[in-house]
Amino acid sequence: MDASFWLLQFLNAMQYSMLLFLLSIGLTVIFGLMHFVNLAHASLYMLGAYFGISVSALTGQFWLAFILSPIIVTLIGAILYFTLIDRMRAAGPMNQVLVTFGLIFVILDLVRLGWGDIALGLDAPDALAHTVSFWGISYPAYRLFIIALGLTIMISMWVVLARTQIGAMIRASVENADMAASLGIHVGRLFFVVFCFGCALAGLAGVAAAPIFSATTTMGITILIPTLIVVVIGGLGSLEGAIAGSLIIGFLETFGAVLLPSLSAVLTYILLAVILVLRPQGLIPARG
Amino acid sequence: MFYQSRLRSITLILALGFLAAYASFGSYFAREIVIEITILAILAISLDFCAGFGGMVSLCHGAIMGISAYAFTIMSVKLGLPSVPSAMIGLMAAVVFSGLVGWVTARTSGIFFIMATLAFGQMAYTFFFKSRWLGGDDGMGGIDRFDLSWLGVDMNDALVFALFGIAVLLLVYVIAAILLRSGFGRILSGIHSNENRMQAVGINTANHKAIAMAASGLMAGIAGILAAQHTLYISPELLIWTVSGEVLLVVILGGIGTLIGPVVGAIMLVMLKHELSNYTDYWHMIVGMVLIFAVLAGGRGIFGQIEYWLITRHPPKAPHLPPAKEKDLA
Repeated sequence: MDASFWLLQFLNAMQYSMLLFLLSIGLTVIFGLMHFVNLAHASLYMLGAYFGISVSALTGQFWLAFILSPIIVTLIGAILYFTLIDRMRAAGPMNQVLVTFGLIFVILDLVRLGWGDIALGLDAPDALAHTVSFWGISYPAYRLFIIALGLTIMISMWVVLARTQIGAMIRASVENADMAASLGIHVGRLFFVVFCFGCALAGLAGVAAAPIFSATTTMGITILIPTLIVVVIGGLGSLEGAIAGSLIIGFLETFGAVLLPSLSAVLTYILLAVILVLRPQGLIPARG
Repeated sequence: MFYQSRLRSITLILALGFLAAYASFGSYFAREIVIEITILAILAISLDFCAGFGGMVSLCHGAIMGISAYAFTIMSVKLGLPSVPSAMIGLMAAVVFSGLVGWVTARTSGIFFIMATLAFGQMAYTFFFKSRWLGGDDGMGGIDRFDLSWLGVDMNDALVFALFGIAVLLLVYVIAAILLRSGFGRILSGIHSNENRMQAVGINTANHKAIAMAASGLMAGIAGILAAQHTLYISPELLIWTVSGEVLLVVILGGIGTLIGPVVGAIMLVMLKHELSNYTDYWHMIVGMVLIFAVLAGGRGIFGQIEYWLITRHPPKAPHLPPAKEKDLA
């Protein structure tokens, strides 16, 4: 276990954290803003991967898929918003969990109908298909790109939330939606915009993950649990919480798997249990 | 509040009678379906006990069932204990696990409770999935059913086992009904309606919720023993969170907070699943749509909706109205 080993694991952990971040940020802001629990968020991630593969297969262009797939997923998200999600906003968490659980089943079978049960792969674009050597290790360029992408979105989201007017409106609505509405913020429209943005990030995460893990029908359900854990550990509704949570889970799972293989599977859940008992509002909740 | 109304008693008799007739006059396959229904119905009653009457919407009931099945199998197959004491230990394991989950999560509510139970359930799932000694994802076989030869019956006969399952289902229903009608059950309903008020009255609500989860765990454990003896083989698949989600679906489909509704829901879901899988490989989609529709239609479920119609049409003298809707789970 020399320095290059640690560096390699660090990069793996970073890359996993960034994927978790892209998924959890949408989920957490939707929850913080709308009090809506969307279990189907990870199904949108799966759709992102499959649409990405199709667009890429049809046009032969990875980058087109990279842009189009999140847009398609956003459109699907918008349809879901008007048919189901807007209606379920006041229905309480149990009904939301149930409806979105039903959606998971529906989307799962639609994907099986559309793309079949076989795992589908997507090749990384030519420009990133090589490996990069530095500091004694060689690492796939595409994975470095994922890390860079995640960090870019992380920073730009922080800038938007902390430094712009729409960010201030979102923060105000998370803090107190009624008060924000009475100050003239169109909270309903804001909800919709944020929801669509969350869907787009989920679709982006899906198409970005497709070259690393191949697209399977179980990929949504597999990533849903770690994503939910990130959201709960970080604190519902906060960007900082999602950053902290995804880094913690990403590093815990990656390093746990190499250092404590026997314990690693349970480590995350133990951490979650400890946090729920000691700090049920999460590490960095949106509402102080 | 729980009332064993006449409508509920009639429905219970009809449901159990239907299952017994279906098993007696049906083929081997029908008997297998009946056993599947009884296992799911017991698990759904167990979930309705804590979700419908205690407001604790658990997503770890599959895991509780699986823990009981695993503990039973470890005792009987790995350590060679007779099946009855093994089953007792299995039930105990389920009670301890669910009691602990209830105790740890007693101060959380709404979505946090759901997430926490989801996490604890997945923790148990991952544990068994990774455990080499317990067969990992291959699971374990070599399980024996209870030996009832002293009664002159052979449990390996599908009909006998199906009737045994129906009897156990009735037993679990009776246990749940007695518990809910006791002082404890009334306190539980009180906590569900208004936890702060119950605390103000001087009730230790956290303890009551933990005990309610433990009692619910006992019933889920019974389902686990039955499930292990049904297939004579167990795997971590029993514990995965979608199993718990499916049980919640059964409770909602039948009618949450009615206790008999889950039995109706279990019959409907298993029948629907088997009928649909004859025609299509994509029955999950239809089940998902049914679930979405059931929630959008008001969330009372099939039995709950019928009961609601009958009661609003012929109001009884005492105010027997069931809770109309889950309002303040948040």
